[in-house]
Amino acid sequence: MRFLFTIAMTLLLYGCYKNESVITDTLIYCSEAYPQSFNSQISHDISTLDATTHQLYNRLVKFDASGESFIPDLATHWQQSDDKLSFTFFLRKNVNFQHTDYFTPTRFFNADDVIFSFQRMLEINTPYNSINRAGDSYFYNHPFTNLVADVIKIDDYTVKFILNEPDVTLLANLAAHYGVIISKQYGEKLLSIGHPEKIDYYPIGTGPYQFKNANKRTGIIRYNAHPQYWGVRPSIKNLIFEVTTNKTKRHSKLLSGECDIITYPEPSQLDKMAANPKIKLHRTATDNLALWSFNTVAAQFNNKNIRQAFSYAIDQKTIIEAIFFQSGNATSSLLAEQSWAYNPKRITLQYNPQLALEMLKNNNFDFNKTITILTSIENSVFNPNFHKTAELIQINLFDIGIKSEIISLLPAALEKRLASGHYDTYLTGINMPMNDPDSLFRPLLSCDATVAEGNSSQWCSKRVQTLLDSALLESNFIKRIMSYYKLQEITQQDRPYYPIAHVLRVDASNQNISGLRVDPLTGIDFQYIRKTEVN
Amino acid sequence: MLNYISRRLNLLLINAFILTIIAFLLAQWSNGQSLTDTNYIIDYVKYISAILQGDWGSSIDNRLILQQGLTAFASTLELCIISFITAALIAIPLGIFAGFYPNHFLDYCIMTIALIGLAIPIFWLAVITTMLPRLTGITLPIDGGISPIFEVPVVSGFMLIDTLLAEDLYQLNAFYDRLAHLFLPSIVLSFFLIAEIIRLTRRSITTVMKSNYIKAAYANGLSKTRLVLHHVLKNALPSIIHQLRLQLSTIISFAMVIEIVFSLPGAGVWLLNSIKEEDYLALPAAVLIISGFILLFSIFIDIFLMIISPLKRKSLYVD
Repeated sequence: MRFLFTIAMTLLLYGCYKNESVITDTLIYCSEAYPQSFNSQISHDISTLDATTHQLYNRLVKFDASGESFIPDLATHWQQSDDKLSFTFFLRKNVNFQHTDYFTPTRFFNADDVIFSFQRMLEINTPYNSINRAGDSYFYNHPFTNLVADVIKIDDYTVKFILNEPDVTLLANLAAHYGVIISKQYGEKLLSIGHPEKIDYYPIGTGPYQFKNANKRTGIIRYNAHPQYWGVRPSIKNLIFEVTTNKTKRHSKLLSGECDIITYPEPSQLDKMAANPKIKLHRTATDNLALWSFNTVAAQFNNKNIRQAFSYAIDQKTIIEAIFFQSGNATSSLLAEQSWAYNPKRITLQYNPQLALEMLKNNNFDFNKTITILTSIENSVFNPNFHKTAELIQINLFDIGIKSEIISLLPAALEKRLASGHYDTYLTGINMPMNDPDSLFRPLLSCDATVAEGNSSQWCSKRVQTLLDSALLESNFIKRIMSYYKLQEITQQDRPYYPIAHVLRVDASNQNISGLRVDPLTGIDFQYIRKTEVN
Repeated sequence: MLNYISRRLNLLLINAFILTIIAFLLAQWSNGQSLTDTNYIIDYVKYISAILQGDWGSSIDNRLILQQGLTAFASTLELCIISFITAALIAIPLGIFAGFYPNHFLDYCIMTIALIGLAIPIFWLAVITTMLPRLTGITLPIDGGISPIFEVPVVSGFMLIDTLLAEDLYQLNAFYDRLAHLFLPSIVLSFFLIAEIIRLTRRSITTVMKSNYIKAAYANGLSKTRLVLHHVLKNALPSIIHQLRLQLSTIISFAMVIEIVFSLPGAGVWLLNSIKEEDYLALPAAVLIISGFILLFSIFIDIFLMIISPLKRKSLYVD
């Protein structure tokens, strides 16, 4: 009897339980990490971009779906002056900021909000510049401070960006994740109540969703649809981000219907997922690059032939197959193929241990020395498994008689070690924050870029620096592309970095989800998403 | 009887004193203070008075530790209770059967299952169970305490009760969702409990079955059902309950491990997160809450046993 009772109760419970995939106006997105903040001006991690850029905010301009031309967002149109030193933007009217429990705006979006948003970055003396240590971030200061001299209000719906010198990257910068527009009225209110820090944690923007609540402990972020949104209003009324750090668990939760969409599934499971008719895989090529950098100031690695020899010793194909599966494309170039500045005349990386050995001998390489392979203990979007990659490299090196030691460190220790310069090679990755090759090459190759900013090979060459700087000032597009072609040739000959793979961004959704858009630079976009009932 | 209770309470005081000292030392250590540079007796007295006044401090995100701890522990307790009820429903009949027919084929089968249950590491079983819905195609949640769709206000900390209180918001959907989230974790925990209860019941029943009064009752022609319900079980139960009481701390610690595997918010997840965030003030609080509960519960069981078992009533000393 008790058995029967238990079984009956179980069946009853099972019958009553509806999983989340049944409710069509609610969407659960299982992400990999909790965002650093809710303002993509100050935080540049992918979790923050996913949680903010497209959901909460708008920018003045954005890239179209192909990523090649600019389309209006909060600016309806724009003009460049004849002297190329200023851009005038004409702003959209009747745009509402979000009405939430903690803030009710009393006016529409206007030029004051644009100036407020950019002044936070440009003017060191504005109260918000140092709030939440915003000024500490590389991207927070760099893109606009060197570029823009001033932002002037012409009238309520017209603003003018005055540049320091002609520079073509302004639009790309405005379309980047840090070009989001925040509410000036909200900023003033927070200052008056003495809590300016809330601006980045209780966000107010003009985007299609508005912030409801978030809890770092439970890893749950809730948004509601913004009822007065100026553009196409989303069909999803409740958007929920649930942080699930374990990749396998995200996969299981997708199958059990607890998540509608998951990000970065376990690469080794991609084959299985692709074969499952209930799951849709969304692969987006990104400019994010997994790379192995050679410390060009370390003894022996200051010789470019030795760096080239190391690149011949590495079996890139095995690394891709064993570590990345289908979540990354093997590459020979720092720049991704989809970039407009990509040089098709590249040197393909070869795996030739014999040649590597010969080159090393010819260049008097000291085989008694143990070289260090520094890497992070925590995996990231650049590499599903840093340590395993390092082990494969170690085996390749061992095959030609080079002894190596893998040093995996936690972020804080890694930062110190990098700053000290005590490493021969470093296994890492880099992301391109905006669709402009300068944002990849400058951190990697500029003499001014520090190791923390990306120049882990400590590379500094006059020729490269001149090319970098002249390309930025060049307004002739063809000439600019040629500069980047040249730059790619030099990096392939001098080999300060060994590019491993351009990482794909992979998201997986259940079959009843459509309209998912993922921008490789600015994050996931839920505005056009639709959820239908499961058949 | 009064003597017995007063002795029991005496033991409680001593245990509580030792516990508070451990908690005090942990708290001092987490504050980064060493005992040598301050007067620790005065500190201890201050600490105890703060604890008694409900001031347990706050965590790094400025939330009250006591409230967090109680809410988390309530969730763990909920899992334990659900698992215990499931386990008792299944295991007691099996145990009675095995005890009633010792050395029978079915007895061996039941005892083999019980032995496997005791031998399997609980965390491994939990990990395997998370794959169960994927392998069988059954739609059951494997992660979290309740779907994030439901925002159930915390009233009692027992989420099943809280979801019922929030009925006006979500009807019974939140309640069912919570039950569904408890389903797999409680199966894993009850697996261990089933093994334990079968073993205890069988042993106890076998002992009672051998006693002369049962033989006499049997000779008098009492039916088997009557014999089990009125004579065997009544006499076997006190020792089963007594043994289970000793298992309470094991059950709670297993529940905490299972919670971590299933990301079920409770004391286990709370402690793990607190340690990860270097919020060590949670440790003494957890020691006090969990051990305090076990102490109080043991006394409660002792008194309960004394009421139902005449033998205990006569004993003077506390065991």
